This record gives sequence, C-alpha cells and structure tokens, in this order.
Amino acid sequence: MKNRIKVYRAMHDLTQEGLANELGVTRQTILAIEKGKYDPSLELAFKIARFFGVTIEDIFLYGDATERK
Amino acid sequence: MKRNTFYLLVGIVALIEVGIFWLSVEVERPILIQVAFVLGVILLYAVRRTIEERMEDERTAMITQKAALRTLEIFWVAFFAISLGSAVVAFSRPLGLRPPHPGPPGTAPPDMLELPFIGGFALFQMALLCLMIFLYVGFRVYYARKYGDWDTDEEQD
Repeated sequence: MKNRIKVYRAMHDLTQEGLANELGVTRQTILAIEKGKYDPSLELAFKIARFFGVTIEDIFLYGDATERK
Repeated sequence: MKRNTFYLLVGIVALIEVGIFWLSVEVERPILIQVAFVLGVILLYAVRRTIEERMEDERTAMITQKAALRTLEIFWVAFFAISLGSAVVAFSRPLGLRPPHPGPPGTAPPDMLELPFIGGFALFQMALLCLMIFLYVGFRVYYARKYGDWDTDEEQD
C-alpha cells in the first residue's frame, strides 16, 4: 500500500519527528509508513488523515488506486 | 529519565545481580539471589516508565508480538522434548513404570535424585532460558529490520 504522507508533511512543513509527536508514535514508525514497510492500524490511519484534514483515501492508496492517482 | 541513563542503570543492576549471585553461592542462601533478581526486574520495569523519549507504539508492539510468537513456536518444541527426557528419567525409577532393576544388588538407580543431579537440571534450565532469549532477540532483530527499525532517510542526524 502506497501513501502520500511525505507530500502532506511537506505541505504542512512538518518533519517526521514533528508528525510523530503529534500522532503519539515514534519517528521510525512514520519513516516505516512512508517507505511502505509498515501499514498503520486503522486507528492510526484515521489519526493521520484527520491531522491533515483529509480523508484516508487521499493519503493511502490501495491496489488499483495507486495507478489511477 | 533519558534512554541512555536507563541503559546505564540496566548495566549497574546486572553487575549488582552478579555480585549477589556469588554472595548467594558463598553463604549458600538461594533466596538471596531469587529475591534480588525479582526486585531488580521490578525496579527496571518501574524506571522504564519514566523514560521521556517515546520508545513504544503500535509498530513496536507488533514487532514484539511477532517475535514473541515465533519464539514460543520454536521454544515449546525444545522445552517439550527436554521435558519428555526428564519424564523418562523420572519414570525409570524402581517405583515408576519400569519393573525392578534386574542387575546385581546395589547397581539399581537410586530412588531419589541426588543434589548435584538437581543442580545439573538447574543449569540445563538456564541453558534453555538462554536459548529462549537468543531466539527472541534473533526474531526481534529480524522483524525490526523487516518493519523499518533501522531505515534511514534524509532527516536522519
């Protein structure tokens, strides 16, 4: 599953550390999600989406959606 | 407390435990090291909560969970095999399932396990425990690597 966290982070001028602190996770977790090595739980996915004020689908791209975007 | 200070404290506690172990052997009081060990672990668990830097989240919890499960899957087989061997030893006594020893008098195995033999079992248990720790650390490293624990990027210091 791909995601656009890095893009949204850049748009909000946030570091991985900053985002991690906001979401209550470690920086390595944000890095692992960005690199696609770890798929977050539904709860964390919602937290990320709400933090950026968008829907989950705007950030996480599952399967065919990856090609369409 | 800072994370490095915590690791330093772990080292100090470990050294103290080694000292108490030898003291326990010298005065022949096993309860000393047993109590000291439990207290040491409780102390470390309590102090770990005071670490300021966040160390655990859902990803680390998942890594720990997977490593623990894999460790258990392998360890129970080893532990069961060893226990089966111990059961065979226990049932080999004259009062067990085996018929009386057919050899000449005085060559039958003793009814009671002798103390050095029990001590050997203790060391064997320690070896099994070490196996479990090695397995866990190995799986922990494997899953930590798989889920990006040591990945770096441009934000890395």
